[in-house]
Amino acid sequence: MSAKVFRPDRSYLLRKLHSLSGIVPVGAFLAEHFWSNSTVLVSISKYNETSRELQTIPFRIFAEALMIWLPILYHGCYGIHIWMRGKSNVSDYPWVGNWLYTLQRATGLVAFVYIGWHVYAERFLTHGKSTYGDMERTLQNPYALAFMAVGIVASSFHFGIGIWNFLCKWGLTATVQAQRAAGRLGVLVGLAFSLVGILILVSFRLNWHPFEFYIK
Amino acid sequence: MRQPKIIIVGGGLAGLMATIRVAEAGVPVDLFSIVPVKRSHSVCAQGGINAAKNTKGEGDSTWKHFDDSIYGGDFLANQTLVKRMCEAAPGIIDLLDRMGVMFNRTPEGLLDYRRFGGTLYNRTAFAGATTGQQLLYALDEQVRRHEADGKVRKYEGWTFLSAVLDDAGVCRGICGMDLKSMEVKVFPADAVIFCTGGVGAVFGRSTNSVVCTGSAQAALFQQGVDYANGEFIQVHPTAIPGEDKLRLMSESARGEGGRVWVPRKPGDTRPAKSIPDAERFYFLEEWYPKYGNLVPRDIATRAIHRVVFQEKLGLAGQQAVYLDLTHIPRETLDRKLEGILEIYEKFLGVDPREEPMKVFPAMHYTMGGIWVNNEDQATNVPGIYAAGECDYQYHGANRLGANSLVSCIFGGGIAGPAAVKYAKNLEKGSESADPAIFERERKRQAAMNDALIKQDGSENPVTIWKEMGDVMSEHVTVTRYNKNLELADGKLQALAARFKKINLSDRTQWSNQTLNFTRELGNMLVLARVMTLGALARNESRGAHYKPDYPDRDDANFLKTTRAKWVNGEIKLTYEAVDTSHIPPRPRRYDVAQ
Amino acid sequence: MADKKKVIVRVKRQAGPKQEARWEEFALDWRPSMNVIIALRDIAENPLTRDGQKTTPVSYDSNCLEEICGSCAMVINGKARMACSALIDDLEQPIRIEPLSKFPVVRDLAVDRQFMFESLKRVHAWVPIDGTYDLGEGPRVSPETQEKGYPLSNCITCGSCLEVCPQVNEKNPFIGAAIISQVRLFNMHPTGAMHARERLEALMGPGGIADCANAQNCVQACPKGIPLTESIAEVNRQVWKQALFGWLLG
Repeated sequence: MSAKVFRPDRSYLLRKLHSLSGIVPVGAFLAEHFWSNSTVLVSISKYNETSRELQTIPFRIFAEALMIWLPILYHGCYGIHIWMRGKSNVSDYPWVGNWLYTLQRATGLVAFVYIGWHVYAERFLTHGKSTYGDMERTLQNPYALAFMAVGIVASSFHFGIGIWNFLCKWGLTATVQAQRAAGRLGVLVGLAFSLVGILILVSFRLNWHPFEFYIK
Repeated sequence: MRQPKIIIVGGGLAGLMATIRVAEAGVPVDLFSIVPVKRSHSVCAQGGINAAKNTKGEGDSTWKHFDDSIYGGDFLANQTLVKRMCEAAPGIIDLLDRMGVMFNRTPEGLLDYRRFGGTLYNRTAFAGATTGQQLLYALDEQVRRHEADGKVRKYEGWTFLSAVLDDAGVCRGICGMDLKSMEVKVFPADAVIFCTGGVGAVFGRSTNSVVCTGSAQAALFQQGVDYANGEFIQVHPTAIPGEDKLRLMSESARGEGGRVWVPRKPGDTRPAKSIPDAERFYFLEEWYPKYGNLVPRDIATRAIHRVVFQEKLGLAGQQAVYLDLTHIPRETLDRKLEGILEIYEKFLGVDPREEPMKVFPAMHYTMGGIWVNNEDQATNVPGIYAAGECDYQYHGANRLGANSLVSCIFGGGIAGPAAVKYAKNLEKGSESADPAIFERERKRQAAMNDALIKQDGSENPVTIWKEMGDVMSEHVTVTRYNKNLELADGKLQALAARFKKINLSDRTQWSNQTLNFTRELGNMLVLARVMTLGALARNESRGAHYKPDYPDRDDANFLKTTRAKWVNGEIKLTYEAVDTSHIPPRPRRYDVAQ
Repeated sequence: MADKKKVIVRVKRQAGPKQEARWEEFALDWRPSMNVIIALRDIAENPLTRDGQKTTPVSYDSNCLEEICGSCAMVINGKARMACSALIDDLEQPIRIEPLSKFPVVRDLAVDRQFMFESLKRVHAWVPIDGTYDLGEGPRVSPETQEKGYPLSNCITCGSCLEVCPQVNEKNPFIGAAIISQVRLFNMHPTGAMHARERLEALMGPGGIADCANAQNCVQACPKGIPLTESIAEVNRQVWKQALFGWLLG
């Protein structure tokens, strides 16, 4: 057989790109976002400082577009395309993996809608200069607070389950034991992110800064 | 040059091997099978495949394999072909190994071999306890490759109805039926190879699959293809009783050290494990100290019948004995026998690693089959070949364990090239045959279907089939008496009369399984009589054929092949000499050294 | 006769691929160690519904009856499984029997699983040998490889893994776990490995391995206990490596 020129299939690449983009850059950005927002747990000024720092990076608009908006848009839209092609049967086969499959689709959709609103409200309405005060005002609205809580938990678990999926689908965990461990890791990440996210919300809403003693 | 065309009917081991050989010769093949070929009955073979590779330093040789096979078959097999098969066996193993069969391996990465019944050598290569499945898949994959290359065309979901014979009695093709559309269609071919397997359904329940009806063989028989040694039916000593099927418990269970026993006290109801060794009767080991639990199948089957029916030592008075593996480490069992132990566990809910299995003999294999010549699997009808379980070669009066897979692959392997050679040498191929002969056959078969569909009777085909199975199992298996055989033949004729009043209860023309089954049943009733009459006429005991009234082998009168012919709608038995040109017959005894 | 224990069975009937499906209920005589095949045979022997209506015997696929030929997969009480090993006493009554839903129905419970055999062709699920003539022994294989490969070669192409997979449906012709596992098997064999690339490339196409969404139902439903999720992970790794390095390095 003659050596053929190798050309990977396009749908395969798109699908793989979807899987990868969920971890890098979208997942990585999620982690970064939680990290920088958690500075509110220290103090208002630390939060505003961190925000300003991020709002003043060079080539900001390009960095945002290429590292955040486009990947999220792609991950979300292609994710919906994938969702449309699957057919959940968790009522017939209520197995753990199948629940996670169904959950991944539900959380993905919630997270996508939520992120759209979140970006609109906090990035565009504030012209990219959101401060503690803006967030605090937003969260005075109980519906906004509830939506944010739901959005945070959905994003967290979507990311956590996504880690499990990623490790399995890239063959980084192949044995049954490794896959089980990856599943536990995913759920743990989901729980941890949810917890931190909710704490951040509480911090904004109650003006509560538990790590303020660092700087006192 | 004219491009010949070959049809192969049946996609088990023999059919697939023949297909590969024909495709390799560059000749197009049409492969017909009732089920997708990957679901053929060969998939059920469990234990292994014999080849004297002598990898264990035991001094085994192909001659010893040959001698064991002839001796095991009680000298009824034609020796020249058996010798060729045993000599070819190591090469067949190599071929299968190259095809990627996941045979069990030694630490050095070589094939492992185990011991099977009727021999003292470790000469059985195996892939867990599902060797037949692994072999079938390997050949199925090769055929799929040829199919992808356009050399093979599969007709899966088609059944064979009849051969198309011209006025000179030469085969010019086949008539088949699409089991979905029920369309009856003729297919011209220069030669046809039949690899249609076993006849278990004739006995109602057996270790065979649902499609093993012998219908194709019987249809051919009624068109003038002779049927040989039909009376030689192998009953496997160890099967798991069940209402729908008698599920095989492979000889490999004994090959790996399984022991057969019953409690010494009749009707003992204590749990098996609580019975001390001294109160257990390991009857095979006591009666046959040299071969022990690995005596040939006919011997083991009769011993179990004797223990159960004459000595009344069946487990708790039932028709069962223990097959005990509990003394073997769990890990060894899982590595070497997992497949079959799972079957037991699944269908009975008992773990055979903890509790001895309850087993009883079951109809398993037909040594008899379509008569073929002593050279290249050709039948007496020009253009028709047969290979695999459906032919009568290789096993004589009793087949040795793990010889069936090798005989299927060997037979199919020589039938393919033989058919190609025949087809190429034909002066005029099927394309120049008179079209009228095809249309005549198609009309005849379509008319038979129409008649059955329209018939308004009172008989149910399943009921007739069950009754036939009961008659055959009771009288034409392990122990045969002439008066019972006569009785059985009478009942079979009565059933054939009732068959004429059958009511299909399904008159539709789409995927009508009842119609197909009824056609098969009509053929089975003929084959059942061939077996019964063959058994009735053979007044001796040889291999699997045992008559208490004639307990000895009678070489003077019966060292001969039964060859049944269909003459004017009647079964006529003729006899011909057996090829004993290599090993002179000697008494067959497993209680002492050969 | 009236007090004889009965088994109530509901069968989803469909006269042909394009006909409407309907349910029929049967009351059969209970016997010990009865399975679904025996129940279907009882119906064939006496094709009367529970309320005494005459009907036709049920069409279904079956062959070996010992769970090794892969024919008799159906949906029994909502679950994909083999009919021959479905013991009546373990099933809740009335027992609901339906054809596999991911394959075209031929009639009643009989379905056409040709898609799977075509898929085997697509991924070149074979060891390409030069010919059947005598070329000596095959390559040596370590017992470890054999112990990994043997379970994979136990696949009976029953279609249960496709039936339970949420990614297999009329909109998405996902090739399914069984076929991916076969790719792993053939890529494991020393000769098969020489041709791993063509199998991996076949799995990149539409309906290929990327359609797996890790619901892991396949491994739960497999009647042969094949480690399908391990196979998928392993082949996934092989495929992306092929995609990446094949493109980067040729």
